Amino acid sequence: MGTLIGVEGIEVAYGDIPVVRGVSIEVREGEAVAVIGPNGAGKTTLFKAIAGMLKPRKGRIVYHGLPIDGLRLYDIVKKGIVYVPAERELFPQMTVLENLELGAFTNYKSRGERLKFVLGLFPRLEERRRQLAGTLSGGEQQMLAIGRGLMARPKLLLLDEPSTGLAPLFVKEMYHQLSRLKEEGLTILLAEQQVPHALAFSERAYVLENGEIRLFGKSKDLLGVPEIQRTYLGVT
Amino acid sequence: MNKNGYRADYVALLVVAVVLALVPVGVGGGSYYLRIATLMLIYMAYAVAFNIIFGHTRQLFLCFGALAGSSAYLSVILAKKLALSPWETIPLGILFAGLLGGAFSYVSVRRGLGVIFVGIVTLVFSMIFYNLILGLRELTNGETGLITKGLGAGVLEKARWSYYVILAVLMASLVLYHFLMRSRAGTAFRALTDDEFAAELVGIDVTLYKVLAASIGSALVGAVGAVYAYYSGFISPTVYSLVSVDIVVLVTLLLGGMGTLVGPVLGGVFFTVLDEIVRPLGRLNVLVYGVLMIVLFITFRHGLVAMLRKIGKLRIP
Amino acid sequence: MIAILVDGIVQGLQLSLMAVGITLIYGLGGVLNLAHGQFAVVGGIATALFVDKGLSPLVASSLGVLTAGVFGLVVDRTLLLPAYRSAGEERLLLGLLITLGLSFVVNGYLDFQYPNIALTLHLATPSVNVAGITVRTASAVTSLMAFLAFLLLFVFLKGTLLGKSVRSIIQNEVGAGLCGINPGRTRTLIVALSAMMAGLAGIAQGLFSSLGTEMGNELTTFALIVAVVGGVRSVNGTLVAGVLLGIVNAFASYYVGAYLTLIILLGTAVFTILLRPAGLFAYRT
Repeated sequence: MGTLIGVEGIEVAYGDIPVVRGVSIEVREGEAVAVIGPNGAGKTTLFKAIAGMLKPRKGRIVYHGLPIDGLRLYDIVKKGIVYVPAERELFPQMTVLENLELGAFTNYKSRGERLKFVLGLFPRLEERRRQLAGTLSGGEQQMLAIGRGLMARPKLLLLDEPSTGLAPLFVKEMYHQLSRLKEEGLTILLAEQQVPHALAFSERAYVLENGEIRLFGKSKDLLGVPEIQRTYLGVT
Repeated sequence: MNKNGYRADYVALLVVAVVLALVPVGVGGGSYYLRIATLMLIYMAYAVAFNIIFGHTRQLFLCFGALAGSSAYLSVILAKKLALSPWETIPLGILFAGLLGGAFSYVSVRRGLGVIFVGIVTLVFSMIFYNLILGLRELTNGETGLITKGLGAGVLEKARWSYYVILAVLMASLVLYHFLMRSRAGTAFRALTDDEFAAELVGIDVTLYKVLAASIGSALVGAVGAVYAYYSGFISPTVYSLVSVDIVVLVTLLLGGMGTLVGPVLGGVFFTVLDEIVRPLGRLNVLVYGVLMIVLFITFRHGLVAMLRKIGKLRIP
Repeated sequence: MIAILVDGIVQGLQLSLMAVGITLIYGLGGVLNLAHGQFAVVGGIATALFVDKGLSPLVASSLGVLTAGVFGLVVDRTLLLPAYRSAGEERLLLGLLITLGLSFVVNGYLDFQYPNIALTLHLATPSVNVAGITVRTASAVTSLMAFLAFLLLFVFLKGTLLGKSVRSIIQNEVGAGLCGINPGRTRTLIVALSAMMAGLAGIAQGLFSSLGTEMGNELTTFALIVAVVGGVRSVNGTLVAGVLLGIVNAFASYYVGAYLTLIILLGTAVFTILLRPAGLFAYRT
């Protein structure tokens, strides 16, 4: 199980202000890795840098042994890295089906089979296939965003705060589906504020605070760290 | 801000006043160049108003010509028909323009019109104004226009005096700008330009401040438009058309630097020089004008002031 | 009464044809093209030049439309690059000013190089009988052209992958990028397409009456108004807005004089915008 993607000492800034400093993380093939931390820690910035939406001022990002930190978002998708942002960024005036089909833009001809797979994963989307994306509920939109991301047959899926605004039952269902995907060999990098779910789901985790990695290790172990328990798990 | 913080502003205002006051001396009173210089002052003053309305509250008013024209025509027609002195009717013109601009702003804010929509609505108003003037021929003399000489504007009918009167109007508008921007209104402007929603949340009455900016700016436009009418001795719809006023003002302010004190002044100088360079080219002048516009905007997209600040590391207000 | 309505629809379709390019270019590139009328003029004048060289009107028109398209493509890939390197409001302003400058350049050049040229196309039969109403052949032909153009456009946008990717970029540029769609490349294609539609509208004007080199600014202005009334990013809205304003124009000019008609038309535009501040067919964000 080799390293799929390595982030080496990157610094990402908004204008002059560095938001992510000297961050290095590693994700191996088939792993599920979580990045946890408070709001404003830089999780989204980190993900956007990996996805090609932001360019790091320093450091590199290496994927399958090759540097990708200069590439643009749409080229990185073609390489198999798919980013599902917290804002979802769906196409509101298009149907669920159209949104999903566009997700398969990079291999459009074979979308039929992939569509069956994704709709099988999210039966609620199947029910609402002709509904306009803008009219879906929050949870359904999140499912659609993940589904659209999956349509591109990613090797690495970047999920940014997938549980935001979702009812607890929904969150459970979503993580259940993600586990199934993990079994199929999908590598997942996940940013979450809902720490219990994230640590339960992932094998390893990084704690990002103020743009820097504070802690990292096996998720099981992190669950036992008192500081983590106090700050993120609400244990006093 | 303490007194020292405004020193740059005062120095700038003084420099501008002195330099511009000396221009007629340098130009030698020859009527052609004096006229060009006076026109330059007019456009600078327009640009200050545009700076207040668009530069500081993001309201894209493309009806400056129409606002100026409304004020001018109102003033001239009243002076003619009611045998009043221009100095009595100019304030009426100013009031009318200010109210009109304020009304546009109020309706736009109330209906939640975005920047482009405000631009188009005001553009349409410009066109309506132009056609109204043409259509109400008995009142406005249509395309032929009205002569404003001999209506009693006195000092505005003499070239040198006019220059200094208009310079006074420009300086007054710059001073007005300075005090406006350092007042509470100025802070409100900065806040709402940055993020309107956040400004509302903090308790800033966005509607009030936008309408205020629009009214003050429009009144200023009305003042300049009316004064110009008597200075030039003649008004017609083309004098206040989109091409004659709005496009020039847009170019002037954007070249000079939006949101700055001296941007309108620098832009005005630049534009006038440009105009003079291009004019003698005859048939080709429009083409060269366009090319220069493109080149200049790509190079100075943040305005001359921003560029000078970077190069000279100076605090240019 | 019906005749006026038909006339209005015909005029309206022309307006929409001009305006849809503005909608597409703004939707895809975030730039309001103030030189759009000049695209039409380029297409029309090129056609006139080709006709002068002895080509048949049909061939000349096709080449004219193509010329407009090439012009649009070149402009997008060169002049507009600085605008595309910025984002949001800066891009809008820069695009506005660059295209404004471009409009001057085209006007100035055409005025200098071809001062007396105008495109006037004459058709063999002045009028035809359609379903009992006598219409000018020019009206029938231009309506057919506009209708076909819009039909093809809709088929393209709804049915093809490229068209869907265009709609996706208009609705959410970030979302499109997340699907692997390159907005830049698609945008160039759409600018060229928009320029061609403007060229077509210019040729239609030549069929109707005549297209002179000085008409660019007027065409741009009306195209802008129609596009904005329709909801500046909605193709459906542009079509509806154009036809609506065309009908208003036709009825107004039948009953009242020229100045008043224009004022009524402009007033309707303002009224519609105030009624629906995001345009007739707004895009919810």
